Amino acid sequence: MLLLDYQNVLIESLLTERFSGYASATPVSIDQVVSDFDGVTFHLSTPESKSKILISINVKCFKELVQYGAQEVLEREYGPYIVSPEPGYDFSVQIDLENLPAEEEARNDLIMKLALLKRNAMAAPFERAFDEFNKLAEEASQYTSESAPQGIKEGGEVMAIHYREEEAIYIKANWDRVTVIFSTVFREETDRIFGKVFLQEFVDARRRVLTLQNAPQVLFRNDPPLELAGVPGLSTKEGEVSYVTFGMARNISTSISVLTRAVLFPRHLTAQRRYENISHIQTFRDYFHYHIKASKAYIHTRMRKRTADFLQVLNRARPENEERERKTASGRTFRVQG
Amino acid sequence: MANQTPAVVMDNGTGYSKLGFAGNDSPSFVFPTAIATKAAGSAGSSAGRPPVANKPSFLGGGGGASSNLSAKRGTEDLDFFIGDEALAAGQGPGYGVNYPIRHGQIENWDHMERFWSNSIFKYLRVEPEDHYFLLTEPPLNPPENRENTAEIMFESFNCAGLYIAVQAVLALAASWTSSKVTDRSLTGTVIDSGDGVTHVIPVAEGYVIGSSIKSIPIAGRDITYFVQNLLRDRAEPDSSLKTAEKVKEEYCYVSPDIVKEFARYDREPDRFLKHTVTAPNGRSINIDIGYERFLAPEIFFNPEIYSSDFLTPLPNVVDGVIQSSPIDVRRGLYKNIVLSGGSTLYKDFGRRLQRDIRHLVDDRIRASEARSGGARSGGLDVAVVTHKRQRHGPWFGGSLLGQTPEFRSYCHTKAEYDEIGPSIVRRFALLGGPGSS
Repeated sequence: MLLLDYQNVLIESLLTERFSGYASATPVSIDQVVSDFDGVTFHLSTPESKSKILISINVKCFKELVQYGAQEVLEREYGPYIVSPEPGYDFSVQIDLENLPAEEEARNDLIMKLALLKRNAMAAPFERAFDEFNKLAEEASQYTSESAPQGIKEGGEVMAIHYREEEAIYIKANWDRVTVIFSTVFREETDRIFGKVFLQEFVDARRRVLTLQNAPQVLFRNDPPLELAGVPGLSTKEGEVSYVTFGMARNISTSISVLTRAVLFPRHLTAQRRYENISHIQTFRDYFHYHIKASKAYIHTRMRKRTADFLQVLNRARPENEERERKTASGRTFRVQG
Repeated sequence: MANQTPAVVMDNGTGYSKLGFAGNDSPSFVFPTAIATKAAGSAGSSAGRPPVANKPSFLGGGGGASSNLSAKRGTEDLDFFIGDEALAAGQGPGYGVNYPIRHGQIENWDHMERFWSNSIFKYLRVEPEDHYFLLTEPPLNPPENRENTAEIMFESFNCAGLYIAVQAVLALAASWTSSKVTDRSLTGTVIDSGDGVTHVIPVAEGYVIGSSIKSIPIAGRDITYFVQNLLRDRAEPDSSLKTAEKVKEEYCYVSPDIVKEFARYDREPDRFLKHTVTAPNGRSINIDIGYERFLAPEIFFNPEIYSSDFLTPLPNVVDGVIQSSPIDVRRGLYKNIVLSGGSTLYKDFGRRLQRDIRHLVDDRIRASEARSGGARSGGLDVAVVTHKRQRHGPWFGGSLLGQTPEFRSYCHTKAEYDEIGPSIVRRFALLGGPGSS
């Protein structure tokens, strides 16, 4: 498994089972609270009747997401299924098993859509940034780089999503690129070093391999990048604080160069790419942490192997007839009489 | 931040792993504890060292001459599947299926580490740093295994906190849901019958009495084989292992008396059933089901009908286990006999067991009364607890205890681990013991 999935496997498998089994078996009640990455909590339940499945999601930064248009995105995706949110959760959808799309394919689409609930909830700021980028790019094409007005040069506002307690994603659209910045905090010294190696690899691989030259540029640094310099108060300060206090802040700036693609490819492909980009970039942090952990597992494997090898050598080195002093329980020894 | 996230409960058994979140009434995922890795046949020469990875093709583009270092860039160690996907991949070429747990204990730590990594990131989808973990271990698990587990959980995954509980104790906790159980004590005898082996484990005040544990080499798989044999003897059109398993799960029950049950079947022919098997090619085959309905679970009570080397019936084993335990806890052990595991789900299994054990106990009391000449015994209470959560008993017990507010204080945290080292997990405060909840 190289990449993490975007969908929640539990929702997917549960709904697949329910959807396909509905015709034959009698429905069973569900009541499960499950987690997803980044402190997202789902609640799957059948509160009214056993054929109506209610899926609720709780996202830490839902307020911020709504500010950036999450509600519209969710309405676009789940339109007819939306119900008023369950208390304690931010957003709820309800599916009536008696009222499913008839075709197999449409059902599978629906399952997938529901399993991607978290992804869609988080997608709004990214979509907005990409839209803004398109607009800015169009405006900017009328000017040369010198004569462009200040507003276009600087790009849009920085959107901050505090999706974890100490970490945030910052998104900023410019006329020539969209910049996504993750601020990451490592609590563990070892992880930080692994992380550094990984991030270096992003830079190196891009330089080394020709086919990756078009890939988005990844930069990492310890101080807040320039894009965040203009962000009032909080965000800049936070970066400094975590840097100074712990020396553990990493600000990774992932600039997605959508521009070249947008020009080169037909319209529908861009939309497709954009969809994938959003999915990918969201799982970046988890992907990053997953690979740090997988590398540690790999190193452990090699360590265990090496230990086993050394033990083998040691065992072979043991003398065959070892002269041992024998003792009784009380501590007396026997001497072989000469 | 971590006070919001539910604890992750993982019960890795020999056959199946049960994964989920504390507070739920059933595990989110149940799949075989199997991992399919790339068959190391070609690279086997280098003393079994993990295969040095090749460069993935997309990295090979511009590099030209591959240096020694770049030859090590690769992702072969991530090329594996777990659970049902592993079994599916094992069917095809290139992958070999491994079972990292043998007899309840972890044998291959490399595979287990990767199994956990995939369970956490792919299935449960949690960041281990945000969650507390509750793992289970079999009784008599050596403390070194606990330490290894802790090393992996804390050093690889940096999990926030860890608690390792004994499966039998969790099974006792799971029985608290039964309406019959009034006091939430952690004293009792656990009969844990899974696929491979059946254990009888006495637990006193939350601690396993290790010297008295007995295991019986008869469990779910043997019942399936027995059913299969009966089907073959009758020359049924389909007698595959899968069909036998289906028959076992759907039709079997425990009878109070086999002789009478035979007579009843002869009197009432509608007790003979038909089972329809749908073959993969779409044909459906009808097979008859007869005496195996009550004969199959009977091998627990009369093992001689199945095996020739193990002949002690389950009730006698349970009685023997309790008799070999310290005398001051025996009353509690008889009073709370808890069933756990898939092979204890047969209808009336608990009732039959209770009756048989009571017979044994009453006979002994009567004999000693006769020997003592006139003394009267106050009697002994025997109770077998059947409850709804038997199938995933240990997991459910873990879920129950993991959602209690004080669970976190029982865990060892990452900070404590860093301070003291792996030996910290040799001791855990007793979760759900006296004084809590």
